[in-house]
Amino acid sequence: MNKSDFESICLEHRLCNDHTLSSKIIPEACDFIVSNKKNKLPVIWLETSDSGDNNIAFMNTTYPYLHQVFTDMIDLLYSNTFMAAQGGDALEILFNSIKLHHGKFTLVVEGAIPTKDDGLYNVIAQTKSHRITALEAVKLLGAAAEYVVAIGTCASFGGISSAAPNTTGSVGVSKVLDRDVINVSGCPVNPDWFVGTLAHLLMYGKPELDDLGRPKMFYEYTVHQHCQRRSYFDKKEFAEHLGDIECMFSLGCAGPRTSADCPYRQWINHVSWPVKVNTPCIGCTNQDFPDGSTPFFSPLPEKTLNKQKQSLTQPTAEKGEAYEQEKDNN
Amino acid sequence: MSKKKIIISPVTRLSGLLSMELIVEDKQVIEANASCTMFRGFEYIMRDRHVTDAVYMTQRVCGICSTVHGAAASYLLDKLYDNDISENAQYIRNVMLAADFLQNHIRHFYFFGLPDFVIMPNQPPFINQNCYDCRLNDSDNHRVASHYFDAVAVSEKCHQILALFGGKAPHQHSFVHGGVSVAPTADKINKALSLIRDIRTFIEGCLMPDTELIAHCYNDYYDIGITPGRFLSFGLFRFGNKNHELLWRGGVKAGSQFRNEANLDYIKEDITKAWYYRPKWSNEDTPAPYKPGAYTWNKAVLYDGLHYEGGPIVRMIINGFYSGGTSTMDRIVARSIETKLIAELIEKWLKIIKIGDAPIARKKDLAASEGISITDAMRGPLLHAVKLNGEQVDKFDIITPTSWNFSPKDEKENRGPAEEALVGTLIPHPDLKYVIPGRIIRSFDPCISCATH
Repeated sequence: MNKSDFESICLEHRLCNDHTLSSKIIPEACDFIVSNKKNKLPVIWLETSDSGDNNIAFMNTTYPYLHQVFTDMIDLLYSNTFMAAQGGDALEILFNSIKLHHGKFTLVVEGAIPTKDDGLYNVIAQTKSHRITALEAVKLLGAAAEYVVAIGTCASFGGISSAAPNTTGSVGVSKVLDRDVINVSGCPVNPDWFVGTLAHLLMYGKPELDDLGRPKMFYEYTVHQHCQRRSYFDKKEFAEHLGDIECMFSLGCAGPRTSADCPYRQWINHVSWPVKVNTPCIGCTNQDFPDGSTPFFSPLPEKTLNKQKQSLTQPTAEKGEAYEQEKDNN
Repeated sequence: MSKKKIIISPVTRLSGLLSMELIVEDKQVIEANASCTMFRGFEYIMRDRHVTDAVYMTQRVCGICSTVHGAAASYLLDKLYDNDISENAQYIRNVMLAADFLQNHIRHFYFFGLPDFVIMPNQPPFINQNCYDCRLNDSDNHRVASHYFDAVAVSEKCHQILALFGGKAPHQHSFVHGGVSVAPTADKINKALSLIRDIRTFIEGCLMPDTELIAHCYNDYYDIGITPGRFLSFGLFRFGNKNHELLWRGGVKAGSQFRNEANLDYIKEDITKAWYYRPKWSNEDTPAPYKPGAYTWNKAVLYDGLHYEGGPIVRMIINGFYSGGTSTMDRIVARSIETKLIAELIEKWLKIIKIGDAPIARKKDLAASEGISITDAMRGPLLHAVKLNGEQVDKFDIITPTSWNFSPKDEKENRGPAEEALVGTLIPHPDLKYVIPGRIIRSFDPCISCATH
């Protein structure tokens, strides 16, 4: 019903005292509410072992901004970072939400899961009798959730929380759950990747994922493929110092083996990205970040010289082209 | 009256995972145990890596204050390589660092602190808010709550300034040893100026009056959550070609005693109540999650055998911008004053930056095999220290502000500043058992990911 129809019904029946006006309008209003009803994703967000950088990255989302995400896209039922409730009141919301939205909520996990020593390296909350470890909470919630989204590289693959020597035995979320996990990696995540994934879940269901469980719409191509400095690489013109304008393969750029759309998308309202400020990509979306990226300023073929790398099985290549080859073969 | 235990877990609206255990007798808190419940092991992770990895690696200690870890690591590397920092680089570095401070302070006030004092809309993530002691009248409450949503875009603009020069945020890329890798150009400076003017409008039009209103309506909090007032700051905003000049001085203040510079030899980590084991023959701590009697992953940090507090209140008092007490409300007000001052500085510095090439110059060879760097971070004093084996890290130490503020008890059973602030607090009604301690705890702006790293 358009506005003028609505007004004419109101005018026509305004003097009736037998509820004719209500009976005319209420069905229309109900139709309107039903057809325009916004489904929101119920979300339970667990912070585990990371730096909290992913919730800060989430705060940096633009169009939609954070408050628009809260109003239009998700019901953020439990979140250590944002929720007004605290202590036992917060835990009560958590347990009620699991019951109320069983099988329907999206579990967002921010951080790696320590598995050593009964998981005691990360306790998300404690009661008088019990310490709830991240390991226990993720298993419990993961089994009851419709979708599980791992936000950031720690949650996706272990990330820096699992970097050598990994004292805490930390792993990515998918390693402790026997189910599909959508990995939205990045250190931190680009808010577009995360909010875009939520949007896909909300409007179209599960997005198409790559071999590592990441939404293809963000991670299908390498940084190298779309880098603004690709022409320098092709002409073999390499930077000697940070601040130079040439290709930074020589300065340790991990772009050739890093899947992300940073060159197009850029960061923080799309104003910049590491290569634009004359620094190499450090491969923060990768499964083996940071161990596969350090020393950050050594060229890719030399990165494996680090003592830390002995346990890694990543292949090394003579030249940057080999990485392209590898990518093509996959 | 029998003793009662209150466990506030999780203490929400902060960075990382914190539980607070209180022992209450006759409505008064008689003991407090601050329990930081996460551990990642950054000091082990840093070992054997190339020392120049420190900037990008240590930024990942923290999400909300990453730039200052990058700054501390850059100062450390500048010292190890004996770099000379150009004047242009000094200003760009400080603009980036300061922008991250603004982001932190605005987000802390609105996203973390505000739901302690203001009734938020009854929708997630604010459901089941405890409004037992929300005191603003309807129209004030409505206005101030709406600033929560205005703060969303403003705090994002702070990170836009950081990203314009640093490539991304958190974990910027261009503030590295030797200077900054980004070329300052007119468009970047102009964009940043436009952004900082918007941010200043918000700070002066919303943050400052909102702080005043909350301080007025909750003025009893000038008498709640008082710390012993032992203050420590490493100073803030380093200038000079060797990072040797500080815009805001540091110092050690205990009562009327004041020392201009902290003696770093006096700083000791105490693991009596922390989940670590220290063998007699070494000073190397290993995690011990089953250690009896311990209650936190945070080590106690002591200066000359005593607990010290850090944060905006310390910087503001030491530098003469604030003269007040050491209560919950003093900490909140001092942080807002600092926010306003920092925003003014950013605008001033942006106008000094000269356009040109990337102001970065690195020396190739190490001039030292060990070093310490210090700076204040958002929440207080931050220290990075390294011992090298060639160019590889042999030992890396990080002592963060929240380690000081949320120190557990030391071997003499002395409490850390936050624990001390909680002890003595009256909880007059059971519905306030989380509210009052929550306000006290958050006034320190705790960051547990930092504290335990």
